[in-house]
Amino acid sequence: MQEPVPTRYVIETRDLTKYYGKNRGIIDVNLQVGEGEIFGFIGPNGAGKSTTIRILLNFIFPTRGTAKVLGMDVLRESRKIKRQVGYLPGEVDYYEEMTVGELLEYTTRFYETDCRRRTEELLETFELDTRRKIHALSLGTKRKLGIILALLHKPRLLILDEPTGGLDPLMQKRFFDVLREEQKQGTAIFFSSHILSEVQKRCHRVAIIKEGRILKIEEIEKLRGNQFRNVRISFKNGNIPDIDLPGIIHREKENGTLRLFFNGDINELLRVLTHHELAGLWLEEPTLEEVFMHYYEKDES
Amino acid sequence: MNIFFRELKANYKFLLVWALALALLNFFMMYVYPSFAADVEALEKLVEMYPEGLLKVFGLDRISLVDPLGFYATEAYFMIILFGSIFAAILGSTLLAKEEDEKTIEFLLARPVTRTQVLTNKILAYLVYLLLFNLIIGLVTYGAFEIFDVGTYSRSVLAYLLAAPFFAHFTFASLGFLSSLFFSRRKSASSAGIGFVLTLYFFDALASFSKEAEFLRYLSPFYYMNAAEILLDGRIDPLNALILLAISAAALGFTHQLYSRRDILI
Repeated sequence: MQEPVPTRYVIETRDLTKYYGKNRGIIDVNLQVGEGEIFGFIGPNGAGKSTTIRILLNFIFPTRGTAKVLGMDVLRESRKIKRQVGYLPGEVDYYEEMTVGELLEYTTRFYETDCRRRTEELLETFELDTRRKIHALSLGTKRKLGIILALLHKPRLLILDEPTGGLDPLMQKRFFDVLREEQKQGTAIFFSSHILSEVQKRCHRVAIIKEGRILKIEEIEKLRGNQFRNVRISFKNGNIPDIDLPGIIHREKENGTLRLFFNGDINELLRVLTHHELAGLWLEEPTLEEVFMHYYEKDES
Repeated sequence: MNIFFRELKANYKFLLVWALALALLNFFMMYVYPSFAADVEALEKLVEMYPEGLLKVFGLDRISLVDPLGFYATEAYFMIILFGSIFAAILGSTLLAKEEDEKTIEFLLARPVTRTQVLTNKILAYLVYLLLFNLIIGLVTYGAFEIFDVGTYSRSVLAYLLAAPFFAHFTFASLGFLSSLFFSRRKSASSAGIGFVLTLYFFDALASFSKEAEFLRYLSPFYYMNAAEILLDGRIDPLNALILLAISAAALGFTHQLYSRRDILI
């Protein structure tokens, strides 16, 4: 994916800060998301992703700082902003007593544009039956409905909060296909997640947030150069040899097993290992926390 | 107006149940009235049995039971104004709280609507509901007055007696609407609303019992729509109606102030 040149910002925050009483929400968040960009917003739960999104949508008010969406102030022009923004919340809750069709109709009436054709298309893509009652829908189906509700008015910016939870793999694929279509037509996408691989594949840039602060904003290409792996090697005779290779960030020995946090060349490692008798070898994708902890340890050294 | 129409549709059963139950109550009261009125002596004995304080609560020290409007004002009116106020308090405190309770508020606020629009749509919804509520009860009650042999009565005074509860209902709905901002769950919001209505009704009753407690009655919306007063004056005191409307307006203005700056956390 080529990174589009940001001409205007669809999201721009300046020193955005939110405290809930004394509790930290976010602190001095500065973000700039360009037109047509797919921007990943990653961090562990409780880091402040949803807080940021809720300020952008004016559900909550910032303690300090400013935020603009599509060039408009989130406090003063929220209504105009929402004409052109689609939002998929992390938890989807709708009026239980309504049917899918009734909710879609209700939603459509909030917009001045004609949403009927797009709604039909999306219903077909996600195979949703409009006659079903909302309270009878499974979580996955509710999320599909949420996706349709976020897209039916052809927004210029999509804000997705942990979008893939509850979707089966097939629907996830369809969802990302639809997002790709949207992006091709110029829709910018701001998407929060705690799953690195989900973001890695699809975003141009990512912002990493931890404990309310932005750690780093990075182009995904740069992150991708770092292939972090958790490596676990267990040796047959229980003796752990000294292995020294570039890319070993962290090592730990226990009971004849060597654990490595590794971002070097995996082929090099395998060549070294052929000289030893192995009982087992595991390669795992590390958690986001691990990657960034070590990534920034390395940066600082 | 989208939200307004949805609210009308979503709560109509709730309206019908309450309105029809109370309308039937009135209908039944006026059905038994003629046989009551036929036995004047028994009625007077009944009244003599009440302690003086209680007579005051029902206004029986000033009006007669042997008169269809007097009977209605003392025996039926208080149920319409009291239970109607409970209905109104539940309605008012639920409309906004349920969006946060059921977490649909995120859906709503993600649409191109201002918070002021959300509020006005909801207020309009309960305003229309309370008008319909009183209209249904009013029509049924008027029907009962006409159908049963109740004797002569003034239609205009009956109309005042049927219209008066609306002012109290609207006040309680608006106070409930405001108070729901302080409760995160709608059940606690409506329970608080019911408690509030009963407390203020008790204030009004207490105030008619004892002189020391008289100041309390000015706090109670029920005082401003007193049936005996309306019956004796032959009209609703416009000042009293204005006071209740002003209380409602103040509650709604305050709600708007708070809601415009509220963090919606679900």
